[in-house]
Amino acid sequence: MKQTARIISIHAADTSGVCSMLYELGGMVVVHDASGCNSTYSTHDEPRWYRQDSMIYISALTEADAVLGNDEKLIADVTSAARDLSPRFIAICGAPVPLLAGTDFPAIAAEIEARTGIPCFGLHTSGMHSYLTGASEALEAVVSHFCTDSLLRTEKPTANIIGATPLDFSISGATDSIRAWLAKAGFELVSCMAVGSSLDDIRRASSAHVNLVVSSCGLATAELLRQRFGTPWVAGVPVGERFPAVLAEALSDAAESGKCALPCAERDATGSAKRIVIPGESIFSGSLARAVELDTGVPCRVLCPLEAEDRLLAPGDQRIFDEDAAAAAFAGASGVIADPMYAPVCPPDVPFRRLPHEAFSGRCYRKESLNLIDRPLPWRL
Amino acid sequence: MLKLAIYGKGGIGKSTVTSNLAAAFARLGRKVIQIGCDPKADSTINLLGGEPVLPVMNFLREHDREPERIEEIAKTGFGGVLCIETGGPTPGLGCAGRGIITTFSLLADLRLFEQYKPDVVLYDVLGDVVCGGFAAPIREGYASQVLIVTSGEKMALYAANNINSAVHNFEDRGYATVRGIVLNRRSVDREEEKVRAFADANDLPIVADIPRSDDIIRYEDMGKTVVEGDPGLDVSKRFLALAQLLLDEEKAFE
Repeated sequence: MKQTARIISIHAADTSGVCSMLYELGGMVVVHDASGCNSTYSTHDEPRWYRQDSMIYISALTEADAVLGNDEKLIADVTSAARDLSPRFIAICGAPVPLLAGTDFPAIAAEIEARTGIPCFGLHTSGMHSYLTGASEALEAVVSHFCTDSLLRTEKPTANIIGATPLDFSISGATDSIRAWLAKAGFELVSCMAVGSSLDDIRRASSAHVNLVVSSCGLATAELLRQRFGTPWVAGVPVGERFPAVLAEALSDAAESGKCALPCAERDATGSAKRIVIPGESIFSGSLARAVELDTGVPCRVLCPLEAEDRLLAPGDQRIFDEDAAAAAFAGASGVIADPMYAPVCPPDVPFRRLPHEAFSGRCYRKESLNLIDRPLPWRL
Repeated sequence: MLKLAIYGKGGIGKSTVTSNLAAAFARLGRKVIQIGCDPKADSTINLLGGEPVLPVMNFLREHDREPERIEEIAKTGFGGVLCIETGGPTPGLGCAGRGIITTFSLLADLRLFEQYKPDVVLYDVLGDVVCGGFAAPIREGYASQVLIVTSGEKMALYAANNINSAVHNFEDRGYATVRGIVLNRRSVDREEEKVRAFADANDLPIVADIPRSDDIIRYEDMGKTVVEGDPGLDVSKRFLALAQLLLDEEKAFE
């Protein structure tokens, strides 16, 4: 069936992306949705929920408020809560009901900002796009507002990590490992957007020589920083044994030349040879594909079920829009590396390697999360 | 870019005023887009020789997919005016206001303004601002000015007052502001006095005074605006003068 998932899961929605990206930045996130829905955005999809506080709220939208267009109630509630909590910023975003009611979030944000004096961002989430879209817009809004000054760069090479959320990296230790790898590669970290760094760290982002984009949800922000401060970006995640060295060289080259690079997509998946297929977020999956090819010589192909710019895909990679397409691609593969929830559509004679992806299966397989950063791959391929 | 939304009571002549303004802007050498925001989808018909464009909602219904090119949901009419109609859901079903928002979102996805680069965009909106969808044309990024069309009839002035109040309610949101009143005469006793009293009470100027004219009806029967049919007529000159006034203001503002 077209664009349908009968057997496997679907990815977390844009609203979850907003909550995840802004979780640690000291802002208040308000999702305009029915009471109880916070568990969807911030419990099932959020491993930090029980150990780290964050100001994520649901507006408790009622049928009457939606039908009557009672925006004033939302504005007054958010204004009142903001006066109590003094957040650094406010992000307000929607779900399917406000989508149907045509709620104008940027306009509501303007009213809240006028009343509170706190920067307020109205985001365009609707529950109809993936987490990448929401996370991307949320980060871009914050960086666009707070990173306005062009700061001096130090002599020592520095970098930001852009696009890191538990939705793509869970709590496997992967983001700490990326930081450690970056230091080993000779770059001092300015900020990691947005895990383990504060809003004040992010405000200094313009002082970095180069930006490492680890998920496609970071690309728009990296582009913003390039346009505003001339900072080049490199897209890739240092997975496996040999690819980290390739990525480190790309970072150094970019810092020196000012030119952006996409080592995650510098592959060729054309031709009829059987390949290992890797469905998932384009920058991580592309990096993993390169890592597998470099470390084992086994050819790979990325299946992209999520929003991704064409430039993030290599020739021969495949966009997929439903589980039938995934099943067809798996059937012709030499193996599959994917979230365990893909397993039911993988033929039994095709080797399936489990790689949990929080944005796809939530907390179901969190205990199985793998840290693949700068180390040998755990599978015999 | 001059972006105007035209509001007023149903049947008061909004589409006539809007399409004549579009034709006037075109005669003054400007590149114009007119977007009809009414489920009736008859805003642009007199710019198109009586041959209507397929409304966006009808396209979605008939094709079960979103349009991929502007040409699929637009037609070029008199003076090169690009004509688009939002249309609406099946009568009695769905949500017409949401249809307007969906259409605007699609037009943004198709990069309509970036591709077509218009000098003037006109939104012809359903009479009453009954829900969020019908305020969409005055949201930030769309129309920046509103013209309210009214006659001296009591219910037309009542609707004009409602529209003016609704726009004022959105002052803190960065929405459009009311530029003025277009008096579309309907042979009402002491018509100018009544409309002027409303305009003065609300501190609004009357920016155009359109006389009742059989010529308008005659040319509409031919699928034309009067500005297209005979620009030398007094009524056509009124539309041309309004278009010039708005362009001059825009130039002075820039």
